[in-house]
Amino acid sequence: MENVLSIVDMHKTYPGGVHAVRGVSFDVMEGESVAIIGSSGSGKSTVLRCINRLIEPTKGEVRLRGEMINIPNADINDVRSRIGMVFQSFELFAHLRVIDNITLGLRHVRKMSRKEAEREALEVLEKVDMLDRKDAFPGNLSGGQKQRVAIARALAMKPEVMLFDEPTSALDPELIGSVLKTIRGLADEGMTMVVVTHEISFAREVADRVIYMDKGVVAESGPSSVIDSPQTERLKKFLSSISEED
Amino acid sequence: MSETTISLRNAPSEGRIYGYFILVLFSVLLVSIPAVAQEYRSGWDTVESGTNNDLFSVEATGDEIWAFGEEGIVLGSQDGGLSWSPANVITSSDLSMSDSGFGSILAASSDGTVIIKFESASQWTDISFDVGEENIRGVSLIRNDSAIAVGSNGSIWKYESETWSDYSVSGVDLLDVSFLDSERGIAVGDEGAILFSEDGGITWDYRDSPSEASSSRIIDIEFYSDIRAYAITDNGGVLKSSREISTQVGFLWNMQYFESEGGSSNLGVNLTSIEVATTNKFLLSGSGGYLSMSKDGGNIVTKQLIPVDNLTSFNDIVMIDGFNGITVGSGGTILITERSGEDEQVGFEVRDFSEFGSFVDYSKGMLIDGLFATINIVIFGIFLGFFLGITLSMMKTSPTTLKQIAEKRSLNLVRLFGALAFIIGFAFLNYLVPTVEGLGLDGWEYIYAPIGIINPGGITGDLQFENFAYLIFGVSLILLGSLFISANGEYKKSERELFGRTVSWNPWGVRPLNFIATIYTDIFRNTPLIVQFLFIHFGIQIGALIGDPAAELLEGSTGFIVTFLRDDILSNRACVSAIFALGLNSGAYQCETIRGAISAIPSGQMEAGRSIGLNYMQTMRLIIMPQAIRICIPPMGNEMVNLVLNSSLAMVIGYSELTRKAKLINAVTFQVFWSYGMVLISYFIVTWTLALILRYLENKTRIPGLGISGGS
Repeated sequence: MENVLSIVDMHKTYPGGVHAVRGVSFDVMEGESVAIIGSSGSGKSTVLRCINRLIEPTKGEVRLRGEMINIPNADINDVRSRIGMVFQSFELFAHLRVIDNITLGLRHVRKMSRKEAEREALEVLEKVDMLDRKDAFPGNLSGGQKQRVAIARALAMKPEVMLFDEPTSALDPELIGSVLKTIRGLADEGMTMVVVTHEISFAREVADRVIYMDKGVVAESGPSSVIDSPQTERLKKFLSSISEED
Repeated sequence: MSETTISLRNAPSEGRIYGYFILVLFSVLLVSIPAVAQEYRSGWDTVESGTNNDLFSVEATGDEIWAFGEEGIVLGSQDGGLSWSPANVITSSDLSMSDSGFGSILAASSDGTVIIKFESASQWTDISFDVGEENIRGVSLIRNDSAIAVGSNGSIWKYESETWSDYSVSGVDLLDVSFLDSERGIAVGDEGAILFSEDGGITWDYRDSPSEASSSRIIDIEFYSDIRAYAITDNGGVLKSSREISTQVGFLWNMQYFESEGGSSNLGVNLTSIEVATTNKFLLSGSGGYLSMSKDGGNIVTKQLIPVDNLTSFNDIVMIDGFNGITVGSGGTILITERSGEDEQVGFEVRDFSEFGSFVDYSKGMLIDGLFATINIVIFGIFLGFFLGITLSMMKTSPTTLKQIAEKRSLNLVRLFGALAFIIGFAFLNYLVPTVEGLGLDGWEYIYAPIGIINPGGITGDLQFENFAYLIFGVSLILLGSLFISANGEYKKSERELFGRTVSWNPWGVRPLNFIATIYTDIFRNTPLIVQFLFIHFGIQIGALIGDPAAELLEGSTGFIVTFLRDDILSNRACVSAIFALGLNSGAYQCETIRGAISAIPSGQMEAGRSIGLNYMQTMRLIIMPQAIRICIPPMGNEMVNLVLNSSLAMVIGYSELTRKAKLINAVTFQVFWSYGMVLISYFIVTWTLALILRYLENKTRIPGLGISGGS
């Protein structure tokens, strides 16, 4: 299996002096789905954003298929178009209809014609089961629908790897299911993905590998079975605190 | 996350329909009220002559007035010209010239027929003589029983002691003669000929006519007094001779240049006669219904209205005194005046502004002019301000720092650039040193140096904006250069001990575009608008700098919009200045408004845009700006209303917009409350319309889920 994404000794210190990530390293293989779990403030979102350089890591390497991408001269726009990103708060473009949200990147980054782009868009909309709302404005969609459109938007660019930044945390419990189903479908199709999540059950079911982060470092990682049999005290404590909440 | 659904289109509420209704009503009112112009009435009145024959000449002496015309017709009036009756004269020749004086009246025909009526005689005496091959063209009495006649080929005859004798001179056709007294007379003729006699018409000397008249036919002369003589040419010129310190009248002749004709010496009509009423007041007659008057010796000649059609050719005028006069013309026309033919103002000459209706009648035209002037500068100001605002706000929000620029290049390249920038900057400043030294400033006075170097010569010197550019570029390049030279590859913030405290600054964090935009907005937001108006108009004179060349560029174009731009906007310097002052100032404020709207867009939108691979400018253009503009419509509306209201300051540079018009109306009518009150309403209409349009636009562009929509 080919190594799609590799992160080596990543550090991030925010301007205020918060040292959020302190030397994180991991690899993501082709077709693998990796779940990053951990409590709030453990640095997992920061790691994700550092991967496509929405945040510049202070130190460390990020490689996409072996190519170093966090150097000043890398074509960052090209790199980003190869990495799909789904945000916690959807970040749909409110002034554009669903279909235009999806075609925007295709037309302006992939330089497709409107017709071509719309054909692609309809395809991915079908995949996330949002075809019937293609002419709606994002403001008129429910949270789950919004998130599925956001997934479709990332998917339309045919990314080599998908990054999910807590895709379900902003959703009402009854809306989570449809989004998770969509993500699970993608994983089953063999999409390479990194999911930052609080949904332990989802991580257990879908992820090939689980990375537990605490205080900016990888505290434990391994196949999804670590959730059932945590090796470290910290993960044990984290898992028990979560189950108490449930 | 709340699930809100907002309907896209809002049905217009009743209040808004009402608003539109009022607006339409106002526009209809403005358009439909007819403008009341001041009216004039002719100063001449028609009187019945009892003949259809052309009348050529008219004379007045004592209580009698006599008119002479076609086929020997002679009409007499004893009542100042009101009623006329034919006299019993036995001639059928056209009596085309006449003269009166010394109690006698003389009329003549070109074929040699001459009739004279002596003082107190009731009958006309025939004193015709044989003119041979020649024609008589002009006659003048020199005593009650003596006269001079002039004619073709230099013919001059003198009637004395009941006989005619020949005193002809060799030369051109003579066309008229006029004697002041028994001795002094002037004859005029073809090719600008002017002859002078001082011995009762026996010997004649040529006088120099003005060069402009040297090829004209001088057809009428009036030797009015010791100090003034006038003559006219048939193509519309007036010649004047005045007594000068050591020169008698009749020696020096000048062509009259008419201020009323734009400095031309030609009235553009075929003149037939001149009648001098007083030294500086004369009347002119001509073909094509032409009667005119000058009250200032010919500087301003005003054509006067006539009560008959324009086909009438007027042949002669006589003034009985300074005000009463008679003119005769073709088809038996006789007109009489009691006010030297001057047009009479009727209608609203003396306006009573104590009634609101008449006040509004008078002022609404001016107000509408002012309204259009205001709208002109407002519209162009808004456009200028908006584009400036967009550009500046984009510059202000640009994230690129010096660090990011430098990081991408190798350290050596950065240092090399730094050294180059430093040297160029230093050269710029060095170039300015002599200029600054020449300003003679001392101590803190140097804060005024930027103004001094732009215009070191004062009002007599040119504006040297390049000096200002040298200063700005010099300073910034030196600073930039020093920073880049000191680069060590880390691009970190620096910390220093200063007065026992740690001061840190981060020159690498400076965003250059933001820096430039900030300087611009700081300058315009920290100076009063009225001073900006004055500085831009009188100081920079942007109209001469930009408006005039631009207008020249459009010269020759005929398109409606281009012509409007050229003639109404660019050629009007005050207008150009007002547009720039408003636009540049508003741009600074709009920049802040748009920037605020941009910051109101969640940062996730930028991240989302970037994450699908759009570059920064694409994301701004396609995602951030469309949303930001929608958000900033209400504050922009505020800004535009402000711009309309601020446009009233254009009055200080003499631009005739609404407020200035109000001042002018007040100056005429003294109705303070009404003048400024009407302007208040006019401003309200403009800004209110603008607000309505913006409100409509806001509803139209509202997108669900973006911003707090509120009610409509």
